[in-house]
Amino acid sequence: MDEMKFANQIIEKAKRMNLDDIEVYYNSSKNLDVVWEKGDLQIPKTDLYQGFGIRVFKDGSTGFSSSNIINEEEAERVLERAAEIANITPSDESNFLPEKSDIDYVDGIVDKENNDIELVEAVEKGKEFVETFLNYDQRVKLDTANFSTNLTKKLIVNSRGTKASEEKTVFENMAMAFARENENVSSFDLSFQIACKLADLDLKEKAEELAKKVVNSLDAESVESFEGSVILTPFSALSIVASTIGFAINGENVINDMSPWADKIGDEVAIPELSVIDDAHLAGGIGSRSFDREGVAPKRLEIIKNGKLNNFIHNTYTAHKMGTKSTGHAGGGAQSKPGISPSNFIINGGDKTLDEIIANTEKGILVNRFSGNTDPISGDFSGVVKGGKYIENGEMVKSIKGVMIAGNVYELLNKISAMTAEKEFIQNYRLPHIKFENVSITGK
Amino acid sequence: MINKLKEILNKSEHWTEIRYHNRQQTSIQIKNGEVNRVEDSTVAGVGIRCLVNGCWGFAATADMSKESLEKAVEEAASAAEVGSSLRKNKIDRIADGEIAKGNYIYTDENDDVELKEKIDLFLEAEEFIREKENIVSGVVNYSKYNDEKTILNSDGAQVNIKDIKHDIGVVSIGHNGSSQEIGSVSAGVTGGWSELFEERSLMEMVEESVNIARTKLEADYTSGGDYTVILDPMLVGVLAHEAIGHTVEADFVMSGSIVQDKIGEKVASEKITMIDNGNIDKAAGMTVVDDEGTVAQPTTIIKDGILKEYLHNRESAAEFSVEPKGNARAFTYRDEPLVRMTNTYIKEGESSFEEMVSDIDNGYYLKGLGQGGQADANAEFMFGVQEAYKIEDGKITDPVKGITISGQAFEVLNSVDAVGNDLKFALGRGYCGKGQMAKVDAGGPHLRCKVKIGGQQEGDVS
Repeated sequence: MDEMKFANQIIEKAKRMNLDDIEVYYNSSKNLDVVWEKGDLQIPKTDLYQGFGIRVFKDGSTGFSSSNIINEEEAERVLERAAEIANITPSDESNFLPEKSDIDYVDGIVDKENNDIELVEAVEKGKEFVETFLNYDQRVKLDTANFSTNLTKKLIVNSRGTKASEEKTVFENMAMAFARENENVSSFDLSFQIACKLADLDLKEKAEELAKKVVNSLDAESVESFEGSVILTPFSALSIVASTIGFAINGENVINDMSPWADKIGDEVAIPELSVIDDAHLAGGIGSRSFDREGVAPKRLEIIKNGKLNNFIHNTYTAHKMGTKSTGHAGGGAQSKPGISPSNFIINGGDKTLDEIIANTEKGILVNRFSGNTDPISGDFSGVVKGGKYIENGEMVKSIKGVMIAGNVYELLNKISAMTAEKEFIQNYRLPHIKFENVSITGK
Repeated sequence: MINKLKEILNKSEHWTEIRYHNRQQTSIQIKNGEVNRVEDSTVAGVGIRCLVNGCWGFAATADMSKESLEKAVEEAASAAEVGSSLRKNKIDRIADGEIAKGNYIYTDENDDVELKEKIDLFLEAEEFIREKENIVSGVVNYSKYNDEKTILNSDGAQVNIKDIKHDIGVVSIGHNGSSQEIGSVSAGVTGGWSELFEERSLMEMVEESVNIARTKLEADYTSGGDYTVILDPMLVGVLAHEAIGHTVEADFVMSGSIVQDKIGEKVASEKITMIDNGNIDKAAGMTVVDDEGTVAQPTTIIKDGILKEYLHNRESAAEFSVEPKGNARAFTYRDEPLVRMTNTYIKEGESSFEEMVSDIDNGYYLKGLGQGGQADANAEFMFGVQEAYKIEDGKITDPVKGITISGQAFEVLNSVDAVGNDLKFALGRGYCGKGQMAKVDAGGPHLRCKVKIGGQQEGDVS
């Protein structure tokens, strides 16, 4: 099917309907997914999806409707439904389409050699990970592992002249595992890798790394409560730090008065070494995109610069509410109206290695994974440390269990004592290890 | 539709299940006087499962042409073949429940109002929230799912299912200069628009959410400890679903959940009987026929304190040599059916609410799920509580706030010494996530039991 022609036909039809503006967003995906559970292969899946969403504007009102049935008759029904919704909803001066953007296309997000990968190959890739993991040590146990591939295409056409399309391939491998030796059971640990190019995944290395981690966390002991250093791995930094910053800088939360940073542009919110960048043009980045859900080309955005809050991320609607312009961060797919999402979210500013950070720790813990609640409005978090390590006098002494940490992210951003220069990609986040001081650590 | 799918099914050389699912979803969100979202979406297509050489394969497509459907059957079969070369524990049999045939149409499509009427009504309700003293913000969320399914399989299932589910949530956010409190009330139904408001009108929900937020603004924090409490039907439902229900899903049982090998053992007070049943009229998790084409029957999970049954799909039921009772559910055509709950509840007993309160010297009456919460495969849980009142010398007294409850769910059920005579399904806008979503309901009567209360003092950072 010619998707561009399909979208153009809808735009043409809409012109006869006395609407002010119209946008057609289309996306398709081909998904392969192979999952292992309880050490055994589960149901291999293929999914072919395509769908479109129509957004119309009339006198400041907007209406949205979507469908995944691709034919002319359905397109007409969905268009009329969107127009009907615009007709019955109140107007809001922030409802309008952005002007056409000059798009600078991103490199390296399509793996041309593997964009037609077959299910048989996906099963083989998953098997490579699973077998390497299970053969590493007889004490390791696999809870779940998967290998999936996703080839997506998105396309946007609107009545302001925007016409753009982009493809992307994503390869992903996730696993959750533990180790058992007689009655001694380690806590669960997680391995996650994702890339636009299949060759960038290292299945064997990740499998061995996970096996090592779970075996090393056997014989975990509890520790006495103390106040000390906490080193977050990139994975736990995502659920505690990056998710909270991501909430506070999201334009929707800013206009809804949910973000504690709503009136803090220009203020110091973190230590001067810390910077947060949103970079949609990172070659091969999982979050890379040449245009957003509204067709706006995103620019490299310094969200926090040298500890000072510099920018929020916006779509057209939230930007207008704040008297500014879209930063190109409209998110979402064809099934819903544009929301807001970061592209590649990067925390910069570290200059240490993990070994140096550990060597400089008098008394503290390394938090491999965090299971608990983080309230982004207040910044309060509390929960259990999984796969944790106890550090004393610069040495990793032992694995720990039953340890809880609690604190406030917004306060801790000013108490960062070190970050690694090296970062890891977790989904669309690129995060370092982050060390905080004076955190309350609750043991036995 | 059915003839076209039947033709495709008959051509397949392997055991095959074809599930057509068309969902029309409408959602509305009103926030602080603005129409934040009005959306209308259609998601339709076919999910096909094949069982070849002891392994499943799944393929989904939205293209309803004959060629595309035939190709999807081939893909599902080849996925299964590829998988079977690696699968160790081969599926040699899937169990039969009551195989559905015919039409299951259990909701009245005409019991609805126009979209505009809904938007106007919600705008009015939301405005009413913000007019109240100390209330700074209001939200109304509404969703409607209009589902139509056709399921056929090689065992002779041939069924058309149509149902409609509505749900609504009303949130009031109060502020008194120093603290902020949330009052949240919701309702969900499988049925018509008017039935969504059968228990409480929209304005009654608004009043209730405002009252909750304002009461909490006036309330004090309390210190934690082990207490005798009365849980309301919503908290009983959350405990039954989240902390107990997941541990008895057969796939989790096989992965080693805490109730593995415990059938026939005493796991709760003899006053406790717990059931999951897809065929509860109007309940939000109503699933009269599941996505494997099995007719729903009640599963008695716990009877008089004894663990009796797990929840199954056809594959796990064969593994345990029992009959599947309609707990295989898929959220959209793109999802494969998994073992899921439907409407999960604890059966009513004989105590009146007044009797239950009058025996408590120093305890709490806890109502509704607050913010945050989690439960693990070992049935250990922690839930935020929305509303809490002290019970002193047999009387409900002052409200308190900032409370969480935690414990091991089976130990909590063991500590039950009184079961109310007032069963209610109370999850409201209940969604359950397990890789894919499901609409569920849960509830029970008021229960008197012992839990650990986590409180906090003013100024604590918890």
